[in-house]
Amino acid sequence: MSAPVPPPQPSSSATSADVADLYKEIFTGQQAALEVVSTGRLSQVGARPPIGTYLKQLWGRRHFLWAEARAKVTSGTRETLLGQAWLVISPILNGLAYYLIFGLILNTSRGIENFLGYLVIGVFLFQFTTQCVTNGAKSIQSGRNLIRAFSFPRASLPISVVLRSMLNLVPTLAAMLLIIVLLPPAEAWTTASLLFPIVLVLQVMLATGLALLFARMTTVIPDLSQLLGVAMRIWLYASAVFFSIDRFAEYPSIVGIMEANPMFMVLDAARDCLLYATVPDAGTWIGLSAWSVGALVVGFLFFWQGEESYGRA
Amino acid sequence: MAEPESNPFAQATVAVQNVHVRYRVPSTDAAERRRGANFVKRAARTVLGNDPKVLVRALSGISFVAKSGEQIGLVGQNGSGKSTLLRIIAGLENPARGRVLAESTPVLIGVNAALVPDLSGEQNIRLGCLAMGLSPEQAEEAVPDVKQLAGLGKSIYLPMKTYSSGMGARLRFAIATAANPHILLIDEALATGDAAFRERSEARMQRLRQGAGTVFLVSHAAQTIEESCTRAIWLNKGRLVLDGPAQDVALRYRKWAWAVAKDKPDEAKQIIEKAFSEREQTHVHVEDTKQPRQYTARHVRAPKNARPTAQRK
Ligand SMILES: Nc1ncnc2c1ncn2[C@@H]1O[C@H](COP(=O)(O)OP(=O)(O)OP(=O)(O)O)[C@@H](O)[C@H]1O
Ligand SMILES: [Mg+2]
Repeated sequence: MSAPVPPPQPSSSATSADVADLYKEIFTGQQAALEVVSTGRLSQVGARPPIGTYLKQLWGRRHFLWAEARAKVTSGTRETLLGQAWLVISPILNGLAYYLIFGLILNTSRGIENFLGYLVIGVFLFQFTTQCVTNGAKSIQSGRNLIRAFSFPRASLPISVVLRSMLNLVPTLAAMLLIIVLLPPAEAWTTASLLFPIVLVLQVMLATGLALLFARMTTVIPDLSQLLGVAMRIWLYASAVFFSIDRFAEYPSIVGIMEANPMFMVLDAARDCLLYATVPDAGTWIGLSAWSVGALVVGFLFFWQGEESYGRA
Repeated sequence: MAEPESNPFAQATVAVQNVHVRYRVPSTDAAERRRGANFVKRAARTVLGNDPKVLVRALSGISFVAKSGEQIGLVGQNGSGKSTLLRIIAGLENPARGRVLAESTPVLIGVNAALVPDLSGEQNIRLGCLAMGLSPEQAEEAVPDVKQLAGLGKSIYLPMKTYSSGMGARLRFAIATAANPHILLIDEALATGDAAFRERSEARMQRLRQGAGTVFLVSHAAQTIEESCTRAIWLNKGRLVLDGPAQDVALRYRKWAWAVAKDKPDEAKQIIEKAFSEREQTHVHVEDTKQPRQYTARHVRAPKNARPTAQRK
């Protein structure tokens, strides 16, 4: 078992503090045993792996991510009578409510052609981002049971939130497309519509980056989760969800800010593809790609850097 | 000490090196409120409703090395740091000072980790297996085995939040051992199990140890430690009091606990001081075999034959 102390060899890899401790103990006369272990066989637990290994571990847990997302997507409706059907029913009801209010009762268009389609795209797509960001920010807190029970790359939790929102998005998108195609003024499928999935991919990347970013930020400053609701509301208004950007035509600076906003770009591109049968312009593509890739890379690196701190949350 | 060439340390599975853990926690102690803060700070605290933070030293200077085939019992009064030590070994939290090395990822079974309360026991088995990094096929294979070990009958199909504490503990133990971990950390998880389950879990742990594994066991029943452990560690207020054969440590701990219970502080103090003075202090020296950054020039190093140059696998 433990070996008695041989004349200690202060080898170069021991820190000077260790050695000082050791000598102190030996000379104060208490019995001491020296155990030598090497990092060749043992490795440090809970240490943050290099980014490549981390990505590999994350990929190794893909089945876990998927299972977790699928398990949680139905947990909100488990106690209801209609169960999973609500995942489809509630976006359809939402869409119908907008149709009823804006299409039939108010009959407003605010100078926007096909206002119903405009509104539905804005609301449903923005809702996805909101879900990802707010639930992503809470993911470390709400996944504490799992964090305390298993060691796995913690980025799994915010990423699983995004996956869950994507599963929620599927019926929502179906409802959205039905409304656009069926309810008057009906739009037809065009070749530009084929670009819509690309817009979605970019939006998902953006949302994942933000979810990772805020997941770590709220563990450092818990107060952020209180502010996030307000921030998302401001972002909602700044993304021209209910109105047209043309309203601000006299204020070029506001227009400039809004056009640099990634969610505005997402909605603008989606509307171009689905409603106006135009291919979004190159500026939108470049700007949106830059935001999405940037958010994902920054969010991921930022989250990975805090990997060792989440156990305490 | 064995010959350096034969690598006598091949058996070490966990090395804990001089670990310190501190928590900063809000305290409602009125004395703490008055202490050391100037007027502005106190006013700010009153307005924000924040309590002053105090430092809790959960662990100080813990060092030991666990070998394969050992079952190590942790004893100590409430709040002495047993659970904290296990969390640190599992890598779920990081120590303020010192480090923990392990041969493979340790698996911790805690008291209150309900995995996903909304899901049924069966779904939790799958999710837990995937979280530990099994592939879906392996998880599917493990399910019948886990079900059998848990022995919950039809209750396995009910939501986990409806389980009694013993049922939850059985399921968690069964899940955690599904992946045949080499290092198993059990935090009072077996305390609520009935006799039949105790028998089965004993057998399971035996098997793990025979496969060159190491088991850590926290239990307040000193008898359990005496009967099933080969070695015991006694913690008191975050300090290591004694580390040695289970019989001896458990006996002294029992005497001490008895003295405390009978309100004989002097006797208790005597026992603990005696144990302290007889303890063999362990120093864990970690030999870094891969340290590209802290490379020291060849001529500064100790002569090569002075210590075994551990080879990397
Ligand atoms: N997350 C935490 N935040 C703040 N303080 C903590 C935390 N975890 C533990 N502590 C403190 O650290 C000390 C050790 O706690 P720990 O849970 O390790 O005790 P224990 O030995 O497991 O006790 P028990 O026998 O009651 O389970 C306690 O004083 C506790 O208040
Ligand atoms: Mg405890």
